[in-house]
Amino acid sequence: MEGRRGVIAMLNLLVGVAMGLNLLALGCSRLPSLIRTVATQGMVLGLMPLLLEIHRLDWRITLVAVATVAGKGLVIPGLLRRAMRAANIEREVQPFIGLMPSVLLGAGGTILAVALAGALPLLPEHAELLLVPGALASVLTGFILLIGRSKAISQVCGYLVLENGIYLFGLLLIKATPLLVEAGVLLDLTVGIFVLGIIIDRIQRAFDSLDTRKLTSLHE
Amino acid sequence: MAVGLLIGVMLFVATVCLLAASGLAARSARASFACTVAGTAAGLVAAMAVLLGPGDWEWTSALAPGGENFRLQLDGLAAFFLVLVCVVGCAGAAYACEYWPESTGSAARGRAWWNALVLSMGAVLLVSNGVHFLMAWEAFALCGYFLITLDNRYAGVRAAGWLYLAASHVGTLALIAFFASLAQSLGTWDLGPTNDVPSIAPLFWLALFGFGMKAGFFPCHIWLPSAHANAPSHVSAIMSGVAIKMGVYGIVRFGGWLPVPDAAGYVVIGIGAASAVLGIAFAFAQNDVKRLLAYCSVENIGVILIGVGAALLARSHGNAAWGGLALAGALLHVWNHGLFKSLLFFGAGSVLHATGTREMSRLGGLWKSMPWTAGLFAVGAVAVAGLPPLNGFAGEWLIYLGLFEGATTRAGFAWAVLPAAILLATAGSLALAAFAKAGGVIFLGVPRTKPAAGAHECGPGMLAPMLALATACTVIGVAPSLVWMPVARAVGTWNPAWSGAANPLFALGPAQLLLAVLAAAAGALLWKKSRANGLRRAPTWDCGFCRPTARMQYTGGSFAGIASGWFAAIFRTEHKSRRPRGPFPASAFHLDHVPETVLDRMIRPTGALIEKLSHAALGLQHGRLPFYILYLVAGLAVLGVYVFLEAAL
Repeated sequence: MEGRRGVIAMLNLLVGVAMGLNLLALGCSRLPSLIRTVATQGMVLGLMPLLLEIHRLDWRITLVAVATVAGKGLVIPGLLRRAMRAANIEREVQPFIGLMPSVLLGAGGTILAVALAGALPLLPEHAELLLVPGALASVLTGFILLIGRSKAISQVCGYLVLENGIYLFGLLLIKATPLLVEAGVLLDLTVGIFVLGIIIDRIQRAFDSLDTRKLTSLHE
Repeated sequence: MAVGLLIGVMLFVATVCLLAASGLAARSARASFACTVAGTAAGLVAAMAVLLGPGDWEWTSALAPGGENFRLQLDGLAAFFLVLVCVVGCAGAAYACEYWPESTGSAARGRAWWNALVLSMGAVLLVSNGVHFLMAWEAFALCGYFLITLDNRYAGVRAAGWLYLAASHVGTLALIAFFASLAQSLGTWDLGPTNDVPSIAPLFWLALFGFGMKAGFFPCHIWLPSAHANAPSHVSAIMSGVAIKMGVYGIVRFGGWLPVPDAAGYVVIGIGAASAVLGIAFAFAQNDVKRLLAYCSVENIGVILIGVGAALLARSHGNAAWGGLALAGALLHVWNHGLFKSLLFFGAGSVLHATGTREMSRLGGLWKSMPWTAGLFAVGAVAVAGLPPLNGFAGEWLIYLGLFEGATTRAGFAWAVLPAAILLATAGSLALAAFAKAGGVIFLGVPRTKPAAGAHECGPGMLAPMLALATACTVIGVAPSLVWMPVARAVGTWNPAWSGAANPLFALGPAQLLLAVLAAAAGALLWKKSRANGLRRAPTWDCGFCRPTARMQYTGGSFAGIASGWFAAIFRTEHKSRRPRGPFPASAFHLDHVPETVLDRMIRPTGALIEKLSHAALGLQHGRLPFYILYLVAGLAVLGVYVFLEAAL
């Protein structure tokens, strides 16, 4: 029992760190630090399956954890950095919504998420975890990044944060359907590579820029 | 058996001739016209054989277009309408020979579509299967469209065509729903008497709306004024005289075959009374003679519907005999209106042909240059105003008889019947005023403009069909008993309980004849007297103004001014004027324009609003990705709140 309490405390700590990283991501004024923040968040999340199932670790859970850390923490950020260098983008994020308002919105969203999770009818073993509020907060943060940032790379980061939130939700199911979570991880990789490899490349070729504001000429 | 064979052969001949007339239209005008005459004559023989003969005609073919066996049926009611199709179909084709010559560039097209129209209207009357009815109905609507837009060089004509097509299809949509629901309820597309299935009664409303769009009762008449005004006059004649009667046919046919809701009689009477009064009020206020005639058609459809509504009412109250009278009046008025409205449109066409304008305020004094047209127009005007001794009176008299007999029963429905009779009388008096205006402004006085002064009488090719129609109007007027048998046959088909009624027109005939003779004698006496004494010519009293001009005459607008004021709340007349100023006023004018209220004040603004909202919605699609994501989040949030509230409540 004591061990389980420790695990829960540890897990909540990690979720708390992830929520903090959300706010940090919203406050980043430069792309490299944004990418770094998102990568860190991905690695933090990657550790969670290990902690959740610490008493009955098997190769599948380990694989999920390793794949997540590698994918979210190393591969996708690496690709993002490469794309940034290759496309020769300026490093400022150029927000629609200013950094300070974004952070305030994110903080408000986090509070809302905690309040909302309290109102949700959760299973008793999930009630004391911060997984659900963390997931909601990440989804909201992802949306704020998507709406409030103009550069494609920062929007990819927004997608990643959004996806991290969904991943946190998925962790609730890891006991029941580890395969589903694994599939989710694979989907991450697919999305990441798809977004980076294809879309950025196309935008770059078509517009000589990665600024999505210049995409409005496509609207009809 | 022999009669059945005759009818079948005649209908076959009619079909072949009309197809040939359509096919030959571009090659030879004469051959095409001869085929039209032969085809309509054959159709007329078939229809009269049914009306005067012993029984209905039916034919089922093994052919199954659209997956349904091809079934034709010609009973008393269909034959009654077929007579009108054939008569006006023939008269209009004859009139078009001179009125719409090759020099218009669309004469061949006109002949082809004309014959197709006559054929498709015949098909509408003959087929007795829902699928084939819709096919024929659509073909009929399209032929009408191509005829209306014959002179498609003008934007006004094209706009009128589009409006007609759109309105027509709104009606067809309702009819598709009607026939499909009917087929689903009955399990078959075959049409026939199904009075024993009370659950399908509400379908009558769909039929009323669908056929009403074609019949053009108020407020479904929106397409009618512009289509009839802009079409060539012979097309206006068949559209107004016959095509809108197809809508009436649908209402009468399915009102007879299907069980109807209890309120149907009251609603149809109400629609009829409203159409009669408002239609003729709008007609009175028009300045364009063909628009006037078109609105007058709305009135006459109203008159017919009053009779039909009374029949529906009487049938639902134990087949009271007065309903038979009202229905007979309505059906007779179908014929009458077809005849005199065609005559009037031909007359208006002759005026248009001679002067190049439909604006009554630019005409005047045509009596002298076009005596035949003026006389024939006057015959039509007397008939349409429902004055004895012509046919308009005979038909309306039957409707009055039915309504009065219904009212004197003092049953609960009298409250609906008596006001209808009063409104019918109101409409009749307004019709008299409207045609006094039309006839007076166009034909009396002196020419107001140069084209009117240079008018010439039209040729025999146009006069002959007018003369034929005027003769038909007079004959039905002075000898109404002649047409009682076909009318009674159609009424008996509609409701077998009313077949074999005594001829109520028996007494009317001699009275009408006497009146006609008296009128003719009085006319002859006046003419003789004026010839004997000689005419004294002097200037009109001119209020001391020394040089009267032709423009100092009553205009159409001033003629109708007071009556238009009574309906100001509905008309929303647009005024434009500049008063004379100073001791030597240079210029002054006063213009009144009565818009098509339902179209211009209700339907157009609604359409414009929808268009504006749609354009505003287009602004949401700006191409800025972050905002799209914002929409997504907002949508999710709204859904979330909804789910939450749902759970909380």
